[in-house]
Amino acid sequence: MLRIFIRFIKTYFLWELLRGLALTGSRLFRRKFTVQYPDEKTPKSPRFRGLHALRRYPNGEERCIACKLCEAVCPAVAITIESEEREDGTRRTTRYDVDLFKCVYCGFCEEACPVDSIVLTDIHEFHFEGREGTVIDKAGLLAIGDRYESSIATAREHDAPYR
Amino acid sequence: MVMIIIDGQEIEAEAGSMIIQAADKADIYIPRFCYHEKLSIAANCRMCLVEVEKAPKPLPACATPIADGMVIHTVSEQAVEAQQGTMEFLLINHPLDCPICDQGGECPLQDQALGYGGDVSRFSEGKRVVDDPDIGPLIETEMTRCIHCTRCVRFGQEVAGIMELGAIGRGEDMKIATVIGRTVDSEVSGNAIDLCPVGALTSKPYRFTARAWELASHDAISPHDCLGSNLNIQTAHDTVKRVLPRTNEHVNECWLSDRDRFSYEGVNSSDRLLQPLVRVGDRFEEVAWEVALQRAATALSDIGKAEGPGAIGALASPTATLEEFFLLQQLMRGLGSDNVDHRLRQRDFRDDSFTALFPGTELPVEQIQDAARVLLVGCHLRKELPLVALRVRELCRMGGQVAALNPMDYEQNFPLTEALVVAPSALPAALARIAIARVDQVEVPEELRQWAELIPDSEEFARTAKMLSDVEGEVVVVLGQIAAQHREASALRAIASWLAQHTGIRLAFLPEANGAAAWIAGCVPHRQANGDGVPEPGLNVSQMLSARLSAYLLFGLEPTMDLAATGNLVSALSDASFVLSFSAFRSAVPAQADVVFPLALFTESAGTYVNCDGRAQSVEAAMDPRGMARAGWKILRVLGNYLALPGFDYITADDVRSRVNLSLPEVVCRLEEGCPLPGAASKSVPWSAESQRFERVVDVPIYDVDPIVRRASSLQRTRDHSLAAVHMNKEQLLALNVKAGDSVRVIADTDEVRLTITPDDRVLDGCVYIPMGSAATAPLGGADYIELKVVR
Repeated sequence: MLRIFIRFIKTYFLWELLRGLALTGSRLFRRKFTVQYPDEKTPKSPRFRGLHALRRYPNGEERCIACKLCEAVCPAVAITIESEEREDGTRRTTRYDVDLFKCVYCGFCEEACPVDSIVLTDIHEFHFEGREGTVIDKAGLLAIGDRYESSIATAREHDAPYR
Repeated sequence: MVMIIIDGQEIEAEAGSMIIQAADKADIYIPRFCYHEKLSIAANCRMCLVEVEKAPKPLPACATPIADGMVIHTVSEQAVEAQQGTMEFLLINHPLDCPICDQGGECPLQDQALGYGGDVSRFSEGKRVVDDPDIGPLIETEMTRCIHCTRCVRFGQEVAGIMELGAIGRGEDMKIATVIGRTVDSEVSGNAIDLCPVGALTSKPYRFTARAWELASHDAISPHDCLGSNLNIQTAHDTVKRVLPRTNEHVNECWLSDRDRFSYEGVNSSDRLLQPLVRVGDRFEEVAWEVALQRAATALSDIGKAEGPGAIGALASPTATLEEFFLLQQLMRGLGSDNVDHRLRQRDFRDDSFTALFPGTELPVEQIQDAARVLLVGCHLRKELPLVALRVRELCRMGGQVAALNPMDYEQNFPLTEALVVAPSALPAALARIAIARVDQVEVPEELRQWAELIPDSEEFARTAKMLSDVEGEVVVVLGQIAAQHREASALRAIASWLAQHTGIRLAFLPEANGAAAWIAGCVPHRQANGDGVPEPGLNVSQMLSARLSAYLLFGLEPTMDLAATGNLVSALSDASFVLSFSAFRSAVPAQADVVFPLALFTESAGTYVNCDGRAQSVEAAMDPRGMARAGWKILRVLGNYLALPGFDYITADDVRSRVNLSLPEVVCRLEEGCPLPGAASKSVPWSAESQRFERVVDVPIYDVDPIVRRASSLQRTRDHSLAAVHMNKEQLLALNVKAGDSVRVIADTDEVRLTITPDDRVLDGCVYIPMGSAATAPLGGADYIELKVVR
């Protein structure tokens, strides 16, 4: 009898709705967690794996030595490298393409690199305006590296104690 | 046989063999660097130390002969400790920068360091640094990486026959360096790259272009000589990155000549023809395949109808495949013409009806090192068949003897017991002298006597004949390319055949490149495929050029450099109303061509190669042809369809191959009995300084043999390339009052070229050596006599 009465009250006096409204009302006056992206951004781990970049040494020399370990380790076969002997006798790439549609951002390339040349930066906001933009070539990767070198270096420094 | 125990496993092994050999047979792994089964045992890397019970210290497995009941441990604590110690010492001076080393990924030191090396180096002193000498265009050096295994040194000393690399200094100061000249010029030098267990000696053309793991391997056969070396073509991104040997003990063992190893640069050449061309006015226009095929088919059938099929002739490069030879002759015979030939540099065809099924070696190549005596006639074996020369060298090491009868004192990489040098015109006479001295108690035919009497008898002929007699074991007489291309080649073959008939001597008539396949496939004017006869023989190469035919099909050849009879060539091609060129290279197309088909090369085409043993080796295409080029057999097959010839419905290269019987009998290359000996030629005009008329020694240098090799840029920078000059000995330089580097006009009949003089004491008085096969000497063709006019 009592159960029937309670069900009657809950059904006709919108009990559940009121409970929901009460929860909403209580949250309305608490501190907000929402981040106003893109005006506001959350902090990122120094290990964040975003857009690729090729780094240079402080003297301007490209780090990459065309050992092709990143190409070999890449599980998505996203990296294509062609190499030859540069005029000064060093081993250098003539082509270093990363296919961003194939890449799974696993970071194995960065781990395999013996000279910290290929890195995944914390850049995650990038877009393409055409099919051709999905593959970044060597010049593009070096330009990214040049532009964000300070943040790349800082991130590596933060992570260094744990490597 | 003795019983030994390795790691608890009882093994029966041959007495006297080394522990490492017994272990290898039983598939028990022992690490090693300096040990190589084809080289002598040096035991200087110490990596193969193993524990032998009752021995006080670990012993090197490569240098410890086994004894009955020996108990060996390869993975015991003592053995592993010794191996790890050795590895630590090796890594003291070895750079630890594998990522920039070209050997990385295929390096025995890298692999074994993973198994036996420590994770952290305990060596904090300075590492040894060694200069990198430039030792030529083929091998790159990084001598700091050298671990002094001396494999390269032993290879030069023992196998190649020329010790170009040696170990200088001791201990920390020991280094591998060139010991004769400044460069390594051997024609088999590339094997040092394979032998080097570290990145000290690497391939220069391949340097830094790829990694072992990204390369796809394909089987192929070398088309450059009649040995048919087994290749492993390694490709990436649709280009050939490098060529490695594929071990075949019957053919090339584990070696490869530099020509086979580096000719792939010709395949990758920027000179490749990528699109069919047709002539429009005085220039070529790129067209679609259908247009070019239709144009060629129409022209050929029109000429066939108007002037008879006999006005069409086909010349094939001897580097083509069996399938291509077969289809070319099927096409020509389908049109009704027997004018088809591949013997581009041969000039004497008088014995055609008496020749064997195909030229080759009666003693199989793999048995040559077991022969007792070899006589080389007109054969620069070292440059013609570099890997057979290695076997002949092995024969000398085993106590055999070799004599050579050549128009020039060629340097061989094995000791010559007799080195007979006669003027080119006297080669048949000298061979006749040797044959008569060797065969006694048989009546000497009159013609042979006439030949012999052209030159005075001498002691050395008798000595050579004696050398060839009174021995146990096989005696082989080898007629090389100089003999095959000789003006009196049929006399040479007939004399050799007479000698072989009356003695137990075996013969070898070396074909050019894949020539044996051309003979079997019927790409000769007087025989069809499988040696079947023809009612009326067609025209051979020289007849085709002098007969001024109306249409020429040029298959894969570069006419100015691949033909001996170039004198008639330009006018023959200019007078022809239709010239169809199948060419892989743009610059190899003659200016007179009307239609040009881009041809795939040996890496891009399925095909069969028959070597001088009669060994037929078939391979599939390693990669797609460049551009619109197509495999020769496919082009010929479709051209046959366009001409509406019957029997051109092949689908695969196998279908074409099945038309040729490749279960070949044992090679018998000698001329059939009853072949008349051609009469002796008249004596050559003696040389005099006034007439300035010289007899010409002519051969084809190793890196000028075919259009592919001529475009292999690294080979073209070796010392074996820069031979296009007038070579004469120093006395003649004085007599002519010229010096090295002077320019002379060289006149042969109506053609003339300007060349420089090079002193060369290998050349006899009255002779000059001017090779063929290169652009500089192309107008001279195979001319035997030339006139020199000094340019003052």
